[in-house]
Amino acid sequence: MSWEKEIREIEKRKRLALLQGGESATEKQHLKGRLTVRERIAQLVDPDSFEEIGLSAGSASRDASGELTNFEPANFIVGFGKVDGRRIVIGGEDFTMKGGSPSAAGLRKSIYAEDLALQAKVPLVRLHEGAGGSVGGSSGKPTSLPDPVYAPPRFQSVAKAMATIPVATAALGSVAGLPAGRLVASHFSVMSKATAQILTAGPAVVARAMGEQKSKEELGGWRVHTKNGTVDNGADDEIACLTEIKRFLSFMPDNIYELAPRLNCEDPVDRKDQTLASIVPRDRRKSFDMRLVINSIMDRTSFFEIGNGYGRSQITGLARLNGQPVGVWANNCKFLAGSMTADGANKARRFMELCELFRLPIIALVDEPGFMIGSQAEKEATIRHGTAAVLTAAMTTVPWASVMIRRSFGVAQAAHYGPGGFVLAWPSAESGPLPVEGGVAVAFQKDIAAAPDPDARRRELEMEFAARQSPFPRSEAFSVHDLINPAETRFELCRWVERVVPLLPALLGSAQFYIRP
Amino acid sequence: MTKVTLETAGSVWKILVNVGDFVDVGTTMFVLEVMKMEVPYEAVKKGEVVAIHIKEGDIVEEDQIAVEIKEDES
Repeated sequence: MSWEKEIREIEKRKRLALLQGGESATEKQHLKGRLTVRERIAQLVDPDSFEEIGLSAGSASRDASGELTNFEPANFIVGFGKVDGRRIVIGGEDFTMKGGSPSAAGLRKSIYAEDLALQAKVPLVRLHEGAGGSVGGSSGKPTSLPDPVYAPPRFQSVAKAMATIPVATAALGSVAGLPAGRLVASHFSVMSKATAQILTAGPAVVARAMGEQKSKEELGGWRVHTKNGTVDNGADDEIACLTEIKRFLSFMPDNIYELAPRLNCEDPVDRKDQTLASIVPRDRRKSFDMRLVINSIMDRTSFFEIGNGYGRSQITGLARLNGQPVGVWANNCKFLAGSMTADGANKARRFMELCELFRLPIIALVDEPGFMIGSQAEKEATIRHGTAAVLTAAMTTVPWASVMIRRSFGVAQAAHYGPGGFVLAWPSAESGPLPVEGGVAVAFQKDIAAAPDPDARRRELEMEFAARQSPFPRSEAFSVHDLINPAETRFELCRWVERVVPLLPALLGSAQFYIRP
Repeated sequence: MTKVTLETAGSVWKILVNVGDFVDVGTTMFVLEVMKMEVPYEAVKKGEVVAIHIKEGDIVEEDQIAVEIKEDES
């Protein structure tokens, strides 16, 4: 007597599980321009690398004779896969079943994704489309008992994952409730501009509770959430989101006990870009494109920007120098003069934490005029958020190299220099407690007012103070390691990378973050 | 019709176009002063300036509409 019957049933269950919500539900998903979760996983991972965990979880129906008539799989799919040959754990809600709102087994699998990735010590990718629970319970009828009071907190593994392995997430359709919370519990998140909305609660609940009539897109479309920093990036469509996740992972180690992989670099370390010698205008009122500076210094095409829709006065991203992954943080003088705003400070703080956790050396390209000022800035508690960024920098242990490109002023500038950092200055560098514009006019108010030509006197004083803020006296005082020709920045930083990479293994393990203001 | 909105608050330093002017992609239409720096706004579409809602010296807010351009379809 063999187990033939049961084996056939296992096969049948698996066949049924792979049908997900059925043909019509899949078709509906496609008609709305969205992929199914299985298609998304297949797009992200290397061919044939997906090893599913828990395909047999779900609920079965039988007829009177005990024969299996239907099998409804759990609506969260999870498993191992490989991205560019490196193992990850990947999971996502299945929107073709219950609109991604978790079934009982689906919820268990969803929560298990973190445990699995933590156990395997590999990056976790979550592809979200679905809602949280509903008043009616996960299956619409009161079935199972709630979790026991002594069950571990559900979000403990989410928090541990954030501290141990890289977590990258995407919003690919409507994401609400619990999945929305998990979407942002990540080191990198991206949303599809074409298909995604992120909602703490959807339009119906909002209308009922707040009397506000808004569409899903108005409430939580990309225009809202790429600007407020709910997600890091927006990408045109689902495929573009998956490409961004691959790109992000390429800079990441598998976990905090390993270093990020270094690639071969074909871009010469001594490549000199002469355009950098004139990129910073002599007229201090004129701006320049910091992204050109970043792209010129880093390995060709390696710069991957994170968060360009919010905190726009700051630019953060990952890149490589002679193949070594590094974090890059720079000021964008084209937006609010590059000043440290509350959201810019938050963005920078999160970015420094990412680099500290995964032991990526930080390159700071400094053009910092100071904290943002004015009534709006005061309303946003800029000084608190800004100081948090300053103290975060002060507590990092990863190597820093800071290049003073132009301005370096006030308390805010301190955020751009890590402990024991390597400091280079371009000839265009200026530094001090306050930029001369504004600062001189206030400090010498009486002097200027009394002059026969107040404007001329102000300009004269500004020029005098600007000369004092020049990098030459700083370099003479050994307040910078060196004053360099901008064209040689790449070469200098690539040499520095070789000096600090041997220090990284000793830093591996948990990162420590103290309480901040 | 393209409405050019302001990315940040600031003051209007210079306006370089008039209603009725044709602008090309890249033409600087006006310059804000933000935190003592000049922030030029360039046309991203070719067309005719049909309305200007700011004037030099104005204190302006983020998202304010500054200029309207009727796109040139040719």
